[in-house]
Amino acid sequence: MRRLTEHDEAEINSILSREDEILPSSGFAVSVMDAVRREAAAPPPIPFPWKRVLPGLVVAGLALALILVGGLAAIVQLGKATTSQLSMSVPPGMPSIFNGGIKSAAIWTGLALLVAFVSVKLSMRLGSGRV
Amino acid sequence: MNASASDDQTDVERVLAGNVSAFEGIVRRWQTPLVNLAYRFCHDRGRSEDMAQEAFLRAYRGLAQWRKDAVFSTWLFALATNLYRSELRRIPARTVSLEDIAEPPDTRPADRGQEDTAYDRDSAVRRAVFALPAKYREALTLFYFHDMDVATASRSLGLPEGTVKARLFRGREILRSKLPQLLAVPHLKEA
Repeated sequence: MRRLTEHDEAEINSILSREDEILPSSGFAVSVMDAVRREAAAPPPIPFPWKRVLPGLVVAGLALALILVGGLAAIVQLGKATTSQLSMSVPPGMPSIFNGGIKSAAIWTGLALLVAFVSVKLSMRLGSGRV
Repeated sequence: MNASASDDQTDVERVLAGNVSAFEGIVRRWQTPLVNLAYRFCHDRGRSEDMAQEAFLRAYRGLAQWRKDAVFSTWLFALATNLYRSELRRIPARTVSLEDIAEPPDTRPADRGQEDTAYDRDSAVRRAVFALPAKYREALTLFYFHDMDVATASRSLGLPEGTVKARLFRGREILRSKLPQLLAVPHLKEA
Protein backbone atom coordinates (compact mmCIF):
# COMPACT_ATOMS: atom_id res chain seq x y z
CA MET A 1 0.00 0.00 0.00
CA ARG A 2 1.36 3.43 -0.95
CA ARG A 3 1.96 5.91 1.88
CA LEU A 4 -0.06 9.09 2.07
CA THR A 5 1.77 12.14 0.80
CA GLU A 6 1.21 15.51 2.46
CA HIS A 7 -0.73 16.60 -0.59
CA ASP A 8 -3.03 13.55 -0.39
CA GLU A 9 -3.66 14.19 3.28
CA ALA A 10 -4.43 17.86 2.66
CA GLU A 11 -6.76 16.79 -0.14
CA ILE A 12 -8.67 14.34 2.06
CA ASN A 13 -8.81 16.91 4.89
CA SER A 14 -10.14 19.50 2.51
CA ILE A 15 -12.85 17.22 1.10
CA LEU A 16 -14.01 15.85 4.43
CA SER A 17 -14.04 19.25 6.15
CA ARG A 18 -16.49 20.58 3.58
CA GLU A 19 -19.33 18.28 4.68
CA ASP A 20 -22.71 19.99 4.21
CA GLU A 21 -24.62 20.95 7.35
CA ILE A 22 -28.23 19.87 7.65
CA LEU A 23 -30.81 21.73 9.70
CA PRO A 24 -33.18 19.88 12.03
CA SER A 25 -36.81 19.98 10.88
CA SER A 26 -38.90 22.83 12.31
CA GLY A 27 -40.78 20.61 14.75
CA PHE A 28 -37.73 18.79 16.06
CA ALA A 29 -37.24 20.73 19.30
CA VAL A 30 -40.98 20.55 20.06
CA SER A 31 -40.99 16.82 19.42
CA VAL A 32 -37.98 16.33 21.73
CA MET A 33 -39.61 18.41 24.47
CA ASP A 34 -42.85 16.39 24.13
CA ALA A 35 -40.84 13.22 24.65
CA VAL A 36 -39.01 14.77 27.60
CA ARG A 37 -42.30 15.88 29.21
CA ARG A 38 -43.77 12.40 28.73
CA GLU A 39 -40.68 11.00 30.37
CA ALA A 40 -40.96 13.46 33.26
CA ALA A 41 -44.68 12.70 33.75
CA ALA A 42 -44.23 8.92 33.68
CA PRO A 43 -44.20 7.23 37.09
CA PRO A 44 -40.73 6.21 38.22
CA PRO A 45 -39.79 2.62 37.37
CA ILE A 46 -40.63 0.03 40.03
CA PRO A 47 -37.44 -0.72 41.92
CA PHE A 48 -36.32 -4.30 42.30
CA PRO A 49 -37.68 -5.63 45.65
CA TRP A 50 -34.31 -6.20 47.26
CA LYS A 51 -35.74 -6.09 50.81
CA ARG A 52 -38.03 -9.01 50.03
CA VAL A 53 -35.53 -10.98 48.03
CA LEU A 54 -32.55 -10.48 50.32
CA PRO A 55 -33.58 -12.97 53.07
CA GLY A 56 -34.16 -15.67 50.46
CA LEU A 57 -30.83 -14.93 48.83
CA VAL A 58 -29.05 -15.08 52.19
CA VAL A 59 -30.70 -18.44 53.02
CA ALA A 60 -29.86 -19.80 49.56
CA GLY A 61 -26.27 -18.59 49.92
CA LEU A 62 -25.91 -20.19 53.33
CA ALA A 63 -27.41 -23.45 52.06
CA LEU A 64 -25.00 -23.45 49.13
CA ALA A 65 -22.07 -22.73 51.44
CA LEU A 66 -23.15 -25.60 53.75
CA ILE A 67 -23.42 -27.99 50.82
CA LEU A 68 -19.99 -26.96 49.56
CA VAL A 69 -18.40 -27.31 53.00
CA GLY A 70 -20.10 -30.69 53.47
CA GLY A 71 -18.92 -31.82 50.07
CA LEU A 72 -15.36 -30.69 50.73
CA ALA A 73 -15.33 -32.40 54.13
CA ALA A 74 -16.56 -35.62 52.53
CA ILE A 75 -13.85 -35.42 49.86
CA VAL A 76 -11.18 -34.88 52.52
CA GLN A 77 -12.50 -37.87 54.51
CA LEU A 78 -12.53 -40.00 51.39
CA GLY A 79 -8.93 -39.01 50.72
CA LYS A 80 -7.93 -40.12 54.21
CA ALA A 81 -9.70 -43.45 53.91
CA THR A 82 -7.59 -46.42 52.90
CA THR A 83 -8.06 -48.04 49.51
CA SER A 84 -9.50 -51.15 51.12
CA GLN A 85 -12.07 -49.18 53.11
CA LEU A 86 -13.03 -47.31 49.98
CA SER A 87 -13.51 -50.43 47.94
CA MET A 88 -15.73 -51.87 50.68
CA SER A 89 -17.94 -48.79 51.02
CA VAL A 90 -18.60 -47.27 47.62
CA PRO A 91 -17.22 -47.73 44.15
CA PRO A 92 -14.71 -45.03 43.13
CA GLY A 93 -16.26 -42.02 41.47
CA MET A 94 -19.60 -42.28 43.26
CA PRO A 95 -20.75 -39.19 45.19
CA SER A 96 -19.70 -39.14 48.83
CA ILE A 97 -23.33 -38.90 49.86
CA PHE A 98 -23.58 -42.70 49.44
CA ASN A 99 -20.97 -43.19 52.13
CA GLY A 100 -23.46 -42.54 54.89
CA GLY A 101 -25.94 -45.08 53.66
CA ILE A 102 -29.63 -44.81 52.77
CA LYS A 103 -30.57 -42.69 55.79
CA SER A 104 -28.06 -39.94 55.03
CA ALA A 105 -29.01 -39.93 51.35
CA ALA A 106 -32.69 -39.61 52.24
CA ILE A 107 -31.99 -36.62 54.48
CA TRP A 108 -30.02 -34.83 51.74
CA THR A 109 -32.66 -35.61 49.12
CA GLY A 110 -35.44 -34.38 51.40
CA LEU A 111 -33.53 -31.19 52.12
CA ALA A 112 -32.96 -30.58 48.40
CA LEU A 113 -36.65 -31.15 47.64
CA LEU A 114 -37.64 -28.78 50.45
CA VAL A 115 -35.30 -26.04 49.19
CA ALA A 116 -36.63 -26.51 45.64
CA PHE A 117 -40.26 -26.36 46.85
CA VAL A 118 -39.65 -23.21 48.92
CA SER A 119 -37.83 -21.55 45.98
CA VAL A 120 -40.70 -22.29 43.59
CA LYS A 121 -43.37 -21.09 46.04
CA LEU A 122 -41.42 -17.94 46.87
CA SER A 123 -40.80 -17.04 43.22
CA MET A 124 -44.49 -17.66 42.39
CA ARG A 125 -45.58 -15.42 45.23
CA LEU A 126 -43.10 -12.72 44.21
CA GLY A 127 -44.25 -13.02 40.61
CA SER A 128 -47.90 -12.57 41.52
CA GLY A 129 -47.07 -9.69 43.88
CA ARG A 130 -48.78 -11.28 46.87
CA VAL A 131 -45.84 -10.95 49.26
CA MET B 1 -16.75 30.12 30.91
CA ASN B 2 -18.40 31.26 27.67
CA ALA B 3 -22.07 32.26 27.30
CA SER B 4 -23.20 28.90 25.96
CA ALA B 5 -21.46 26.95 28.73
CA SER B 6 -22.92 29.15 31.46
CA ASP B 7 -26.38 28.94 29.83
CA ASP B 8 -26.03 25.16 29.79
CA GLN B 9 -25.08 25.08 33.45
CA THR B 10 -27.99 27.37 34.42
CA ASP B 11 -30.46 25.26 32.43
CA VAL B 12 -29.15 22.01 33.90
CA GLU B 13 -29.53 23.38 37.42
CA ARG B 14 -33.09 24.50 36.68
CA VAL B 15 -34.00 21.10 35.21
CA LEU B 16 -32.52 19.32 38.20
CA ALA B 17 -34.55 21.62 40.46
CA GLY B 18 -37.70 20.33 38.74
CA ASN B 19 -38.23 22.80 35.89
CA VAL B 20 -38.56 20.43 32.91
CA SER B 21 -39.17 23.31 30.47
CA ALA B 22 -35.63 24.59 31.07
CA PHE B 23 -34.41 21.60 29.09
CA GLU B 24 -35.76 23.31 25.96
CA GLY B 25 -32.87 25.79 26.09
CA ILE B 26 -30.42 22.89 25.91
CA VAL B 27 -32.35 21.29 23.05
CA ARG B 28 -32.45 24.52 21.03
CA ARG B 29 -28.75 25.22 21.56
CA TRP B 30 -27.55 21.72 20.67
CA GLN B 31 -30.13 20.35 18.23
CA THR B 32 -28.21 21.29 15.07
CA PRO B 33 -24.84 19.82 16.17
CA LEU B 34 -26.44 16.64 17.51
CA VAL B 35 -28.57 16.07 14.40
CA ASN B 36 -25.55 16.76 12.17
CA LEU B 37 -23.35 14.40 14.12
CA ALA B 38 -26.02 11.70 13.84
CA TYR B 39 -26.31 12.42 10.12
CA ARG B 40 -22.58 11.89 9.65
CA PHE B 41 -22.96 8.49 11.31
CA CYS B 42 -26.01 7.25 9.37
CA HIS B 43 -26.39 9.52 6.29
CA ASP B 44 -30.16 9.32 6.72
CA ARG B 45 -31.99 12.52 7.62
CA GLY B 46 -35.01 10.89 9.27
CA ARG B 47 -32.93 8.47 11.26
CA SER B 48 -30.51 11.19 12.36
CA GLU B 49 -33.38 13.11 13.98
CA ASP B 50 -34.59 9.95 15.74
CA MET B 51 -31.09 9.28 17.01
CA ALA B 52 -30.61 12.87 18.15
CA GLN B 53 -33.98 12.79 19.96
CA GLU B 54 -32.93 9.64 21.78
CA ALA B 55 -29.62 11.33 22.69
CA PHE B 56 -31.50 14.28 24.21
CA LEU B 57 -33.76 11.91 26.13
CA ARG B 58 -30.77 10.06 27.52
CA ALA B 59 -29.14 13.37 28.41
CA TYR B 60 -32.31 14.37 30.26
CA ARG B 61 -32.39 11.08 32.19
CA GLY B 62 -28.71 11.28 33.05
CA LEU B 63 -28.45 15.02 33.70
CA ALA B 64 -27.57 14.47 37.36
CA GLN B 65 -24.58 12.38 36.28
CA TRP B 66 -22.92 15.32 34.52
CA ARG B 67 -19.91 16.24 36.65
CA LYS B 68 -19.23 19.88 36.23
CA ASP B 69 -15.46 19.37 35.88
CA ALA B 70 -16.07 18.87 32.13
CA VAL B 71 -17.91 21.29 29.86
CA PHE B 72 -21.55 20.28 29.34
CA SER B 73 -21.10 20.01 25.56
CA THR B 74 -18.21 17.55 26.01
CA TRP B 75 -20.43 15.34 28.16
CA LEU B 76 -23.34 15.68 25.73
CA PHE B 77 -21.22 14.81 22.67
CA ALA B 78 -19.67 11.80 24.43
CA LEU B 79 -23.14 10.56 25.38
CA ALA B 80 -24.49 11.12 21.86
CA THR B 81 -21.46 9.53 20.20
CA ASN B 82 -21.77 6.48 22.41
CA LEU B 83 -25.45 6.17 21.56
CA TYR B 84 -24.93 6.67 17.82
CA ARG B 85 -22.16 4.07 17.74
CA SER B 86 -24.30 1.46 19.50
CA GLU B 87 -27.28 2.35 17.35
CA LEU B 88 -25.25 1.86 14.16
CA ARG B 89 -23.90 -1.43 15.51
CA ARG B 90 -27.48 -2.55 16.22
CA ILE B 91 -28.89 -1.49 12.85
CA PRO B 92 -26.04 -0.72 10.43
CA ALA B 93 -26.49 2.03 7.89
CA ARG B 94 -26.64 1.02 4.25
CA THR B 95 -23.15 1.10 2.77
CA VAL B 96 -21.45 0.03 -0.41
CA SER B 97 -18.15 -1.80 -0.35
CA LEU B 98 -14.89 0.10 -0.73
CA GLU B 99 -14.12 -1.89 -3.87
CA ASP B 100 -17.27 -0.57 -5.53
CA ILE B 101 -16.38 3.00 -4.61
CA ALA B 102 -12.79 2.79 -5.80
CA GLU B 103 -13.71 2.17 -9.41
CA PRO B 104 -17.01 3.99 -10.11
CA PRO B 105 -18.42 3.55 -13.60
CA ASP B 106 -17.65 6.61 -15.71
CA THR B 107 -21.03 7.79 -16.94
CA ARG B 108 -19.98 11.42 -17.34
CA PRO B 109 -20.67 13.15 -20.62
CA ALA B 110 -17.59 14.46 -22.34
CA ASP B 111 -18.50 18.13 -21.84
CA ARG B 112 -18.84 18.04 -18.06
CA GLY B 113 -16.84 20.71 -16.29
CA GLN B 114 -14.22 20.66 -13.56
CA GLU B 115 -16.82 21.47 -10.88
CA ASP B 116 -18.82 18.33 -11.67
CA THR B 117 -15.67 16.24 -11.57
CA ALA B 118 -14.71 17.70 -8.20
CA TYR B 119 -18.23 17.10 -6.91
CA ASP B 120 -18.06 13.44 -7.97
CA ARG B 121 -14.64 13.07 -6.37
CA ASP B 122 -15.81 14.63 -3.08
CA SER B 123 -18.91 12.46 -2.86
CA ALA B 124 -16.86 9.35 -3.71
CA VAL B 125 -14.42 10.18 -0.89
CA ARG B 126 -17.35 10.65 1.54
CA ARG B 127 -18.90 7.36 0.46
CA ALA B 128 -15.52 5.72 0.92
CA VAL B 129 -15.30 7.03 4.48
CA PHE B 130 -18.76 5.65 5.09
CA ALA B 131 -17.65 2.22 3.85
CA LEU B 132 -14.59 2.06 6.13
CA PRO B 133 -14.50 -0.38 9.07
CA ALA B 134 -16.36 1.16 12.04
CA LYS B 135 -13.35 2.07 14.17
CA TYR B 136 -11.70 4.10 11.40
CA ARG B 137 -14.97 5.59 10.20
CA GLU B 138 -15.90 6.74 13.72
CA ALA B 139 -12.50 8.34 14.30
CA LEU B 140 -12.64 10.17 10.97
CA THR B 141 -16.26 11.23 11.49
CA LEU B 142 -15.57 12.71 14.92
CA PHE B 143 -12.27 14.29 13.84
CA TYR B 144 -13.82 16.23 10.97
CA PHE B 145 -17.01 16.98 12.89
CA HIS B 146 -14.95 18.63 15.62
CA ASP B 147 -12.98 20.75 13.10
CA MET B 148 -9.97 18.41 13.10
CA ASP B 149 -9.46 18.64 16.85
CA VAL B 150 -8.03 15.30 17.97
CA ALA B 151 -8.42 16.06 21.69
CA THR B 152 -12.16 16.80 21.38
CA ALA B 153 -12.70 13.84 19.06
CA SER B 154 -10.96 11.51 21.51
CA ARG B 155 -13.05 12.82 24.42
CA SER B 156 -16.24 12.21 22.40
CA LEU B 157 -15.10 8.70 21.54
CA GLY B 158 -13.86 7.99 25.06
CA LEU B 159 -10.48 6.87 23.63
CA PRO B 160 -6.89 8.00 24.26
CA GLU B 161 -5.60 10.60 21.80
CA GLY B 162 -2.86 8.25 20.60
CA THR B 163 -5.44 5.61 19.63
CA VAL B 164 -7.52 8.17 17.75
CA LYS B 165 -4.42 9.47 15.91
CA ALA B 166 -3.46 5.93 14.91
CA ARG B 167 -6.98 5.21 13.66
CA LEU B 168 -7.07 8.47 11.72
CA PHE B 169 -3.76 7.66 10.08
CA ARG B 170 -4.79 4.13 9.18
CA GLY B 171 -8.24 5.24 8.00
CA ARG B 172 -6.72 7.82 5.68
CA GLU B 173 -4.21 5.28 4.38
CA ILE B 174 -7.03 2.91 3.46
CA LEU B 175 -8.89 5.77 1.80
CA ARG B 176 -5.86 6.79 -0.21
CA SER B 177 -5.17 3.25 -1.33
CA LYS B 178 -8.75 2.85 -2.51
CA LEU B 179 -9.10 6.19 -4.17
CA PRO B 180 -5.96 6.87 -6.19
CA GLN B 181 -7.73 7.91 -9.37
CA LEU B 182 -10.15 10.21 -7.60
CA LEU B 183 -7.49 12.08 -5.66
CA ALA B 184 -5.41 12.44 -8.78
CA VAL B 185 -8.16 14.61 -10.31
CA PRO B 186 -7.01 18.27 -10.44
CA HIS B 187 -8.30 20.03 -7.34
CA LEU B 188 -10.37 23.20 -7.67
CA LYS B 189 -9.07 26.26 -5.91
CA GLU B 190 -10.96 27.11 -2.75
CA ALA B 191 -12.96 30.33 -2.81
